[in-house]
Amino acid sequence: MYKFVDDLTSDVMFVAEGKNLAELLEQASMALFEVVCQRDKVEPKEFIEIKVEADSPRELVHEWLSKLLTESDINEMFFSKFDVEVEKKDGKLIARGKAWGEPYSPEKGETVVKGVTYYNFSVEKTKDGWRAKVVCDI
Amino acid sequence: MSDIKSKLEQISPVKWRIPKSFRKGMRVDTIVYGNKFIIDSVEPDALMQLTNVAMLPGVIEPVIGAPDIHFGYGLPMGAVGAFDAEEGIISSGCTGFDINCGIRMIKTNLDRKDVEGKIKTLIDTLFKNVPCGVGAKGKLRLNYDQLDEVLKLGAKWALENGYATKEDLERMEENGHMEGADPSKVSDLAKKRGLPQLGTLGAGNHFLEVQAVDKIYDEKTAKAFGIDRPGQVIVMLHCGSRGFGHQVASDYLKIHEQAVKKYGIKIPDNQLVCAPANSKEGQDYFKAMQAAVNYAFTNRTVMTKWIRDSFEQVFKRDWEDMDMKLIYDICHNIAKLEEHEVNGEKRKLYVHRKGATRALPPGHPLVPKVYKNVGQPILIAGSMGTASYILVGTDKSKESFYSTCHGAGRVMSRHKAIREFKGEEIKKSLMKTKKIYVRATHGRVIAEEAPQAYKDVDQVIESVHEAGISKKVARVIPLGVAKG
Repeated sequence: MYKFVDDLTSDVMFVAEGKNLAELLEQASMALFEVVCQRDKVEPKEFIEIKVEADSPRELVHEWLSKLLTESDINEMFFSKFDVEVEKKDGKLIARGKAWGEPYSPEKGETVVKGVTYYNFSVEKTKDGWRAKVVCDI
Repeated sequence: MSDIKSKLEQISPVKWRIPKSFRKGMRVDTIVYGNKFIIDSVEPDALMQLTNVAMLPGVIEPVIGAPDIHFGYGLPMGAVGAFDAEEGIISSGCTGFDINCGIRMIKTNLDRKDVEGKIKTLIDTLFKNVPCGVGAKGKLRLNYDQLDEVLKLGAKWALENGYATKEDLERMEENGHMEGADPSKVSDLAKKRGLPQLGTLGAGNHFLEVQAVDKIYDEKTAKAFGIDRPGQVIVMLHCGSRGFGHQVASDYLKIHEQAVKKYGIKIPDNQLVCAPANSKEGQDYFKAMQAAVNYAFTNRTVMTKWIRDSFEQVFKRDWEDMDMKLIYDICHNIAKLEEHEVNGEKRKLYVHRKGATRALPPGHPLVPKVYKNVGQPILIAGSMGTASYILVGTDKSKESFYSTCHGAGRVMSRHKAIREFKGEEIKKSLMKTKKIYVRATHGRVIAEEAPQAYKDVDQVIESVHEAGISKKVARVIPLGVAKG
């Protein structure tokens, strides 16, 4: 689950939730790409593989979303579907997954997300799983 | 936090102070420029962000808020923070994500009446020739060696490759080239992002606008800038360093997050990550940032060639015959090593301008020769469908580290704007009421940039003009807009 919070003049804030960290990453990824493109019109035709490592859930979410922005530009792809797995190994959190989508087309683009900021950024454990609050600089 | 506005001390009708006594930890005062209309609408959070910057090591008084100030990443948009080059810091947080987002203006000898009947064809041609929007693919496909040349040379690369003239470079901030750029300080990821995007406009508030001169306030200066009459057609281009600059910023925000811990720098806001000015982390960022500045200069320069090509296609005349000379090209988001007078003493400072424009007076050594007697042109974009301005730098802007505003400044979030306005209706209304033709990738782009989502640019300009930190030269109004 994710929802947008209308709280900022110039940027975009969303809250994403998942029953575990993997689902949290999937939901946050969908929210992010709803800002970048018309996600509902982007077909999951092809995928790229993504892996990030982090010391904490907070860092993992930030790194994952930042990596998706980078890979979107490099591969010139909009993403619409995400399959993520998270494991803990040697004290590190490792997220591996696939981002599915299709090549860039301007008519399906929305806006440029310049970066995932640390403004009011939070990742917290809840009674039902995990919740992240994210602000995108646009 | 909400009482910060009540603590503003009025110095003049357009100048306000937040004294360092306002908050424990502030090392210097902050100064905010704006008339009552502007101050009434300013967000308390944005003022609070100015006071955060006033707490950083080596900060030089005052931290500046321009009338277009609004909440941003770390340092608000419409703000200037200067730091001592020896004892101060350099901050990737203060410069922000869109390094050298900037504006250029190209003049023409065309008249409004030459363009009005062809505005749809002209904007559609520009939209086709200049890649606009998220997902628009660049026409240039550089290899790594070529990209490194762009990063080192900036607009000089564009000159060497037939995209610009020598005269263009003479009319750009830094002559379109920052000497200290070092591509080896830029990550491979940033380069990968930069490769396909050179020569693309992007989206959001970036745009390409065909305008007509509406009013001239200062004939002598306007003439020096190549503006000689109301109705004269001008082109304005607003864009930055694209994904390349965003990646440089993201990379160094992480490095500076570690540097803050390593050097024990106390920061009141995690977004204000930084490094000591002379540390490796500080200097590496400065070199990488200059590479992003050069990328953005080249980006705007390459697109200028396609703008000139588009005019040639539509008007069947050479661009030289249409006198499409660059008026100037200025940077918005940048950190620069500059010399300023502080308490009567000349000192080197790292001046961070975020959503702010350099504003040099007549005679300043960095003003292009062609403008030496009048001062540096300052190009201010209004919101879509509203006026833009050309200003000039003044001696008085010394008090603001030779800086002034950059644009209108938002008052409504993009999401709220999308909810409240319909792009197609705005497009029809602009055509019906003002004869402005808007071409965008789709309606939501128009809705999020609705004129009502921005401050009244006229009030912003009146504020800086009355404060004397820049002076009005000309007002221009849009005829047509191409947006990502």
